[in-house]
Amino acid sequence: MAIGMGLGIKQAATNAFFPLSPLHLPFFLRHSFLPFRLHVLATDIPRSSAFSSFGTSSVNIMSWPCLLRNGYGRVQMSGRQDIIAISSWNAAPCKSRSVVAAASAETLVTKKERPSAGNSSAIEKKDSDGPDRTSWRPSIDFKWIRDNKDAMAANVINRKTAADVEKVVQLYEQSCHLRGEVDKLRAERNAVANAMKGKVEASKREELIEQGKQLKERLAGLEEQLTKISELLYFEGQRIPNTTHPSVPIGPEENAVVRKQVGVKREFTFPVKDHMELGLALDLFDFEAAAEVSGNKFYYLKNEAVLLELALINWSVAQLTRKGFVPLSTPDIVRSNVVEKCGFQPRGQNTQIYSIEGTDLCLAGTAEIPVGGLYMDQIVSNSVLPLKLVAFSHCFRTEAGAAGSATRGLYRVHQFSKVEMFIICCPEHSEAFHEELISIEEELFDSLGLHFKILDMATEDLGAPAHRKFDIEAWMPGLDRYGEISSASNCTDYQSRRLNIRYRPVSEALAVKKVKGSLPPLQFVHTLNATACAVPRMIISILENYQQEDGSIIIPEVLQPYMGGLGFIRARKL
Amino acid sequence: MAIGMGLGIKQAATNAFFPLSPLHLPFFLRHSFLPFRLHVLATDIPRSSAFSSFGTSSVNIMSWPCLLRNGYGRVQMSGRQDIIAISSWNAAPCKSRSVVAAASAETLVTKKERPSAGNSSAIEKKDSDGPDRTSWRPSIDFKWIRDNKDAMAANVINRKTAADVEKVVQLYEQSCHLRGEVDKLRAERNAVANAMKGKVEASKREELIEQGKQLKERLAGLEEQLTKISELLYFEGQRIPNTTHPSVPIGPEENAVVRKQVGVKREFTFPVKDHMELGLALDLFDFEAAAEVSGNKFYYLKNEAVLLELALINWSVAQLTRKGFVPLSTPDIVRSNVVEKCGFQPRGQNTQIYSIEGTDLCLAGTAEIPVGGLYMDQIVSNSVLPLKLVAFSHCFRTEAGAAGSATRGLYRVHQFSKVEMFIICCPEHSEAFHEELISIEEELFDSLGLHFKILDMATEDLGAPAHRKFDIEAWMPGLDRYGEISSASNCTDYQSRRLNIRYRPVSEALAVKKLPFPEWNVFQNIDPE
Repeated sequence: MAIGMGLGIKQAATNAFFPLSPLHLPFFLRHSFLPFRLHVLATDIPRSSAFSSFGTSSVNIMSWPCLLRNGYGRVQMSGRQDIIAISSWNAAPCKSRSVVAAASAETLVTKKERPSAGNSSAIEKKDSDGPDRTSWRPSIDFKWIRDNKDAMAANVINRKTAADVEKVVQLYEQSCHLRGEVDKLRAERNAVANAMKGKVEASKREELIEQGKQLKERLAGLEEQLTKISELLYFEGQRIPNTTHPSVPIGPEENAVVRKQVGVKREFTFPVKDHMELGLALDLFDFEAAAEVSGNKFYYLKNEAVLLELALINWSVAQLTRKGFVPLSTPDIVRSNVVEKCGFQPRGQNTQIYSIEGTDLCLAGTAEIPVGGLYMDQIVSNSVLPLKLVAFSHCFRTEAGAAGSATRGLYRVHQFSKVEMFIICCPEHSEAFHEELISIEEELFDSLGLHFKILDMATEDLGAPAHRKFDIEAWMPGLDRYGEISSASNCTDYQSRRLNIRYRPVSEALAVKKVKGSLPPLQFVHTLNATACAVPRMIISILENYQQEDGSIIIPEVLQPYMGGLGFIRARKL
Repeated sequence: MAIGMGLGIKQAATNAFFPLSPLHLPFFLRHSFLPFRLHVLATDIPRSSAFSSFGTSSVNIMSWPCLLRNGYGRVQMSGRQDIIAISSWNAAPCKSRSVVAAASAETLVTKKERPSAGNSSAIEKKDSDGPDRTSWRPSIDFKWIRDNKDAMAANVINRKTAADVEKVVQLYEQSCHLRGEVDKLRAERNAVANAMKGKVEASKREELIEQGKQLKERLAGLEEQLTKISELLYFEGQRIPNTTHPSVPIGPEENAVVRKQVGVKREFTFPVKDHMELGLALDLFDFEAAAEVSGNKFYYLKNEAVLLELALINWSVAQLTRKGFVPLSTPDIVRSNVVEKCGFQPRGQNTQIYSIEGTDLCLAGTAEIPVGGLYMDQIVSNSVLPLKLVAFSHCFRTEAGAAGSATRGLYRVHQFSKVEMFIICCPEHSEAFHEELISIEEELFDSLGLHFKILDMATEDLGAPAHRKFDIEAWMPGLDRYGEISSASNCTDYQSRRLNIRYRPVSEALAVKKLPFPEWNVFQNIDPE
């Protein structure tokens, strides 16, 4: 795994420094099994006290708050806990005790031994479930937003988002101004401190001391102000959606443009049934028992429906593996901040996300979240791009607020199996890969013999992360309408700025040995995601389109080998 | 689906009755899409008020609390909410408004229309997350426990369980005694009430009134006492584990008896690696990223490991389907009371179960839970037994308290895919099916070319639901030890008494038309008599 080592530490006027050179790290990485990551995110609050207990030197950390993760759990470093955590880590008898990493980006440090039991109580303790708002910050390009204020404001209106570009720009300018003031004062304070180093007259010394004291007070006030503004800035900034591709139709859902139609509606010579009627007659699912055991909108798949589910999963994973996608089986449980980083809201009213009691964990609504997290906080080598991934997972959604006839049966459910594609690439290629993803979807659904249309979704339907989104809607004769079966989004750098996934544009990034100044700056990758197979909607499409007059179902040819050669689903004789 | 209609309503002295005869039900069942179930469980607190607003008649419900589930959610009927829920349901303009079902067993009633939006707010509201302790009661055979007190006490000791058989028996006897007293007083009260029906002298009438008043007061006191005792009885009774098969070795884990060894340890001509080393070298999993994204003991499977996972699932489902098992894909999310009914503890310290915030839902630690729930509260027709089921699901476990070298890598993880067999059968056949299950496991693992041993697990290792448990431990050369790869338990009637899954031993039970109304009372009642 590539190790991200962004050493862009924001040096304080007091000259913060690394007690351990980055060249020492590979030794620890090679010899360690339990990885530790110490994230120090930039919020510009000097808090040297917590780190002053470190052995080799006192480090002035300009970046806050810290997240320390270890073999036992996660400790949020805000308030007292941080100090305990750091000192217990420091107190552990291991060589890496002098490794202190602090960077406005992120640095990976590792250590072999676990902290001794006595000291590690703070680490073993799970962090409480409070709002984690400040535990991470997206790398929003505020300068770009300021320079493209009008375009961004129009974008926000087109997408009907609750974001305030004007306010963000104001806050950004305030914070820039304050930062300038802070820097100026720090320089002054340093000048005063330097002036006191040589021989100074007593009266002059007192004057300098007084001056230094005043500077310190003013600085403290400004810094506090800066913290507040900064927090507000990120809070407001996070609400700004991704930019929109110029070809995207403006307006509500209905404005979506049909890019392509594939196949035609099948003509039926008999009255069609919907998937519920078909499935109940063939004993393919049980919603009634699931309502008792789990709740409404849960279901059991039974008999051939289970074989069909497994066949759909296997078939789509096999197809994509053949196309060079790396298959993944991802955790269904993820930390809520990873959910946020992917652009979803894990908390609050009407959230689509189930949370796990007493933890900071959620159930992923899509494999997009754990797959995006796979490369979180990493610098991906240019040579491995594009990363094409295909993940199988169970998806869980509260479906809060969903109602209406579209929710009948398998159409909108709390849990489903899904195979999801995900691409991580450099910005120049994301549009081409978006086209590739939609053509893969087309190929998959066409080979299932479905009739469908490909839509270029309108601005109000995009959701915050998507720069552009292609949906596929298949004809569902029983429901007598087209129903969404897949969605392919180009999220450009919206997710990567939150997940902190970067690459170095030119040549290889194995350049630690090269002269530092010659490296091109790191850039955020682009991410894309697309449904390969959302199982329940596939089952609806297959049952309704392949129904026969006698109530039996023909299995699409491509799936038959994955169902032991089964060609039909027929009613069982009791 | 078979519809259980246990109409064993415990009639109050005031003569509670059904406003709708069960013969009307098939009409609603045929014409309805959204099923309603109204569970009324026995706790013997008279609460007629909530039901008095029903159109056709006032019903005196002796059983509490109620759970009303509908198309929108679930409403726990305790306090005010129940009344709102019932009246909004009642207010809905539908033919089934007069369907009131109350039974100490359970009854399924359905209705076609959803309640009108205005009235249904209480129903849409999810119930709060409070302890659901009294919402269901296991059908524990207290009489049997009393009659086999010593054997049960020995069993509790052998299994090292925190249960107190002596206390349960005492509470049972107290409750029997109290129930007798209550019945006697009720009869007296009825006699007094009857005596007042005819023409009675004024002085005699006053005497009777006074007598009735006193009886009512004494009855109220006794009933309260009975409720308390009854609650305690079930609380203590629930802790009593299943009986143990006589062949099960007594003692701790080490006492497990090897029933059979299959295959031999492979001889290696080179230094063996463990699965972590192999997997990391072949890029088959990523624990490091999963620790960041989800936490420790989570993992990503990558590349061929994913294909291997899918192949294992498919292969095992295919094998079992061929053997006549019905394949299932079950919900990973289940209500916490279903978890309890299967004999697991969904709450409390060191629970293995993840709970979902703001709901009464849990993540199932095994498909055993949703599969057990599939036939919950049902009377299964004798003709469909045995039900052989095979379910694929994701399993989630907190693994609280697990530590040590056995937890390295994939051995003990928070989430995994599992294909699980489940059999529902009549008591006479369960031992034979247990043997069938272990022989299927043997066949499966043998055909994978593994070397393993089959163990008859010792009493202390059984857990509450199992009457007997066979584990299979396969040889893992990298770990240099045998590791558990499967477990087959015969839970006899431990789970079915909690899940309320029953059958009628003789002939067919498709008897809606045949059986006259009173015969539904035949079904075993959860009262301790």
